[in-house]
Amino acid sequence: MKMKKTDIGVVLFMYFVCGFFYYHMVKLKASSQTYPRFTIVLLFGLTTLYLIQMVIAAKKYGVESGVDSVFKDFQTAQFFVCLCATVLYLICIHLFGFYIPTVIFMAAIMLYLKVPPLYICITIVVIIALIYFAFQKFLGVKLPVGTIMKALNK
Amino acid sequence: MLDTLSLMGAGFLNALSPINLLMMAAGVAMGIVIGCMPGLSAAMGVALMLPMTFTMKAETGLIVLGAIYCGAIFGGSISAILIHTPGTPASAATAIEGYQMTLQGKAGKALFTACYSSFWGGLLSCISLYFFSPLLAKLTLKFMSAEYFWLSLFGLTIIAGVSSKSVIKGLMSGALGLLLSTVGLDPISGVKRFMPTSYFAEGINTTCALIGLFSMSQVFILAEKKIKERARATKFSDKMSLTREERRTIRPTIIRSWIIGNLIGILPGAGASIACFLGYNTSKQFSKHKELFGNGSIEGVAGSEAANNAVTGGSLIPTLTLGIPGESVTAVLMGGLIIQGLTPGPELFGKYAPMTYTFFAGFVLVQFFMLGIGLLGCRGFAQISRLSDAILIPCVTVLCFVGSYAIHKNIMDIVVMLSFGVLGYLMRKFDLNTAAVVLALILGPIGEKGLRNALRGSQGDFRVLFSSVVCWVLIILCVIGILSPIFMNRLEKKAEKEAISGTGEDLEKLTEEDSV
Repeated sequence: MKMKKTDIGVVLFMYFVCGFFYYHMVKLKASSQTYPRFTIVLLFGLTTLYLIQMVIAAKKYGVESGVDSVFKDFQTAQFFVCLCATVLYLICIHLFGFYIPTVIFMAAIMLYLKVPPLYICITIVVIIALIYFAFQKFLGVKLPVGTIMKALNK
Repeated sequence: MLDTLSLMGAGFLNALSPINLLMMAAGVAMGIVIGCMPGLSAAMGVALMLPMTFTMKAETGLIVLGAIYCGAIFGGSISAILIHTPGTPASAATAIEGYQMTLQGKAGKALFTACYSSFWGGLLSCISLYFFSPLLAKLTLKFMSAEYFWLSLFGLTIIAGVSSKSVIKGLMSGALGLLLSTVGLDPISGVKRFMPTSYFAEGINTTCALIGLFSMSQVFILAEKKIKERARATKFSDKMSLTREERRTIRPTIIRSWIIGNLIGILPGAGASIACFLGYNTSKQFSKHKELFGNGSIEGVAGSEAANNAVTGGSLIPTLTLGIPGESVTAVLMGGLIIQGLTPGPELFGKYAPMTYTFFAGFVLVQFFMLGIGLLGCRGFAQISRLSDAILIPCVTVLCFVGSYAIHKNIMDIVVMLSFGVLGYLMRKFDLNTAAVVLALILGPIGEKGLRNALRGSQGDFRVLFSSVVCWVLIILCVIGILSPIFMNRLEKKAEKEAISGTGEDLEKLTEEDSV
């Protein structure tokens, strides 16, 4: 099998993790270093082994980009809209509480993904009802109220 | 012996309480819905529902998770039969014969066969769960600190090796998880380690990591693909039943597949996706009507479905006794067990035996619910399987958010879940193993305590890690664990090739659904 260029990123990420944890580990007491040191050495060793395997594969079979296979049929706009909306949803939950951002988030995502309006309404009602009855009533989970809403209520 | 029998009896009495029965029905229905939707997996469903079990009694919580697990494995067959797309990889072989039967107007018969065989496969697998679990659990009484260290590594080598495309990448994922498990207060001296804030004092929340790695990452996988309209599920009008003769025909197939599925389940690392093809192939080999294979054989459907459901009971054995889950779903189930404050091993069959036997009894009863709900609700579930990804994306996201928030009612839990969702997505894109990370987060603290206590007892002498026979057995098992993927991959490839030979099926199409 050819070496994938995308795997260079994997190797670099693992080395970065090892470096990051090692930097913080050396500041710890000697006895607290034992297990983190063991895991860092393990990850470093395995990553190096993988790097060697990659080099051998590159010499034997050549190199390919890997991007095509990893991101085949990747819908860039759709993916990033969903990702950004999810992050925004998290921020809004923190500020405005659970229910209003949830309705807006669900409606926005489904409208963007071209779900018919009737289905959007049914889905939102079902999910909100499920959360209200299953989590809030049955399990007694207190859902986020939101910092702004809390301040306004005061 | 009498003690065990009385525990079994008491277990059934507890399991038959109204709340447990209600939860079984809800869990099975939820599992079937998750299983029949291509793109959602059993592990994802169990991870998503994990927070709902926090406030329940331990046995009820475990019964719900077990019900979702069994329901999801069976649910995969509905879409496999009606729309030729297996809901989970465990039903890939079912699609071969099941869809042919649908084309011939025998969808009802195919669904009945799947449900009936799944029921027997699952039910018979409970026998081994009852009888082998206590025996294996006793073995762990011999374990000391050093042995626990090696056991944690063995668990990782198995899951990291078998469920990854590359063994080294699987092991790298496990090592990454071990490293992440060191975040938080040192379990022995209480020193702060790698903690950006005091929120991480107790380490990374395993449930949030589970939901992120299995469920949220799946949302991103769905979001990156073009939203396609699912094939319309075939409406069927034939009766959902089998004649006495047909039932007699599939009986030996079910028994053979039960044995295969059960053994595959007990073997850590092998899963339902391998079992379904092996069950299917064996039914083909022993069939008196080989000409029907590829043209809609009920024996083929029975062979595959009995085998994949027989895995469920078997796979719980190493999970509950040794703390070594063989696949993603059981890794999540083990997370559920630990969250309830229970540790796999002899304690489950001693101090917590009533709870364990209630769970076992619940697992038996779940099979009956699966049969009833499966048969009655097949038509409805078939329509649900058409649910578009465009609807699933926001729904699963919201459930991930609520689920992770429900744990400590802390927004930071959602942040951790989302971070692990992104990490899980990237890991899956680059063929790293998310199940290994989860398992490492669970096993990491056990391994650390084992290593530190062993070294403390020997004044830092590393030879203590190699001082007993059990240690050496576990070291050898670790080596076997690393080498086993070579054997398992060959076995799976061979079984898949044999299954599709002469059927005109496209293997890649059957197994293309991206599930954890």
